[in-house]
Amino acid sequence: MNKIVILKLGVIFGVILVFFWLFVFGPFYDDIVLQIAVFVVIMGWNVLRFSLRDTISLLKFCLPFVLSLFVFGLMFHFIALFGRTDWLQDTFIKCLVFPSSLIFLKILLTYITYLDILNLPISMRKRIGLITMKSAFQKGEKILRRFSWYLNTYPDLQSGNRIKSEIKKYACLIIALYLYLYEEIENSNHLLKNRYQHLYEAKE
Amino acid sequence: MRIHKGKYRLAGRNLNFDMVDDLSLNDSGGCFYFRGGNGFGKTSFLEKVIIPALKADSLPYLYIGQDIRTQLYTLRALLSIQGVKVAGADEVELLKLWINQGRSASVLIMDEFDKYFPDYGFIFDWCADFIQTYIIVTHLPLNRRVTAACNDRIYNVRFEMIGADGPLKNIRVKSE
Repeated sequence: MNKIVILKLGVIFGVILVFFWLFVFGPFYDDIVLQIAVFVVIMGWNVLRFSLRDTISLLKFCLPFVLSLFVFGLMFHFIALFGRTDWLQDTFIKCLVFPSSLIFLKILLTYITYLDILNLPISMRKRIGLITMKSAFQKGEKILRRFSWYLNTYPDLQSGNRIKSEIKKYACLIIALYLYLYEEIENSNHLLKNRYQHLYEAKE
Repeated sequence: MRIHKGKYRLAGRNLNFDMVDDLSLNDSGGCFYFRGGNGFGKTSFLEKVIIPALKADSLPYLYIGQDIRTQLYTLRALLSIQGVKVAGADEVELLKLWINQGRSASVLIMDEFDKYFPDYGFIFDWCADFIQTYIIVTHLPLNRRVTAACNDRIYNVRFEMIGADGPLKNIRVKSE
């Protein structure tokens, strides 16, 4: 069982490394057509594995980062920073690579189950750490939609300049998510350690 | 602001509402108590009918959701980017700070707030200066403090299940 799990995790991390080597840092990074194709395939994969709603929500989450990349790229293009004339093309690629790689990583990591972690030949303390991380990030993903819903109801974030409000909203979203994950990891870790300790003592 | 009588269908939540009367929320203020059994769509009605209508009318409101523990993370984040000191503040202090910042609002919505704070009269003390209309989802009877805060202008909005077509629930919404 241990060997199968190690093999499975090896394949998952291998695929991740190959993906990043080929499309993020490596030979196909500059190929716009291929990057568009990779983007479409990954979005389709996410729709099939999760849902269209989940995919849209992930893209919305990436949007402010992609937009800021785009704005900076545009500025660099107009001022011809470092004498380069390919800023626009490079920005466009980055705008595709960022969501593609993030969502690809997320999809691949969801193939690692709790049972896989339990079967890893590592200490129980490390297993608890990994289980806590997985559980917190899974919950965090679901809670993001609810956070976003709440933020859309706050009058302070509705009034005034639309762009300013959106930036504030995303800042709040990231802070809220960070606070949630921090607390959730701490609580889950404490709970798991406590249960393990009691089960171990009962067995003794 | 008026929610017109008629049918409201929330297909995603398998709910079909039949509003028997118009619901005038902000004409003369007061407290609107949404009552009805669990699963009769009170929260869905708030989130999918009332709140979009308030938004459409550009009527500023404050909403305290049923999952207040989740909402508090967003309040902490919002207040901190506004420069309000929130370190060490407990949930009541956070709510007070947030409500105090939301003085542009004239409507306060509380969804089963009494589940966490059975004696929630303190909320009325905080908002008396600016909130005209309270929309409150509750399963509990009214206490004297709340009745006094509403100036006896209390309206009950009852959610009753009148039938079901498979998973789809037909709910009558009636003002009393």
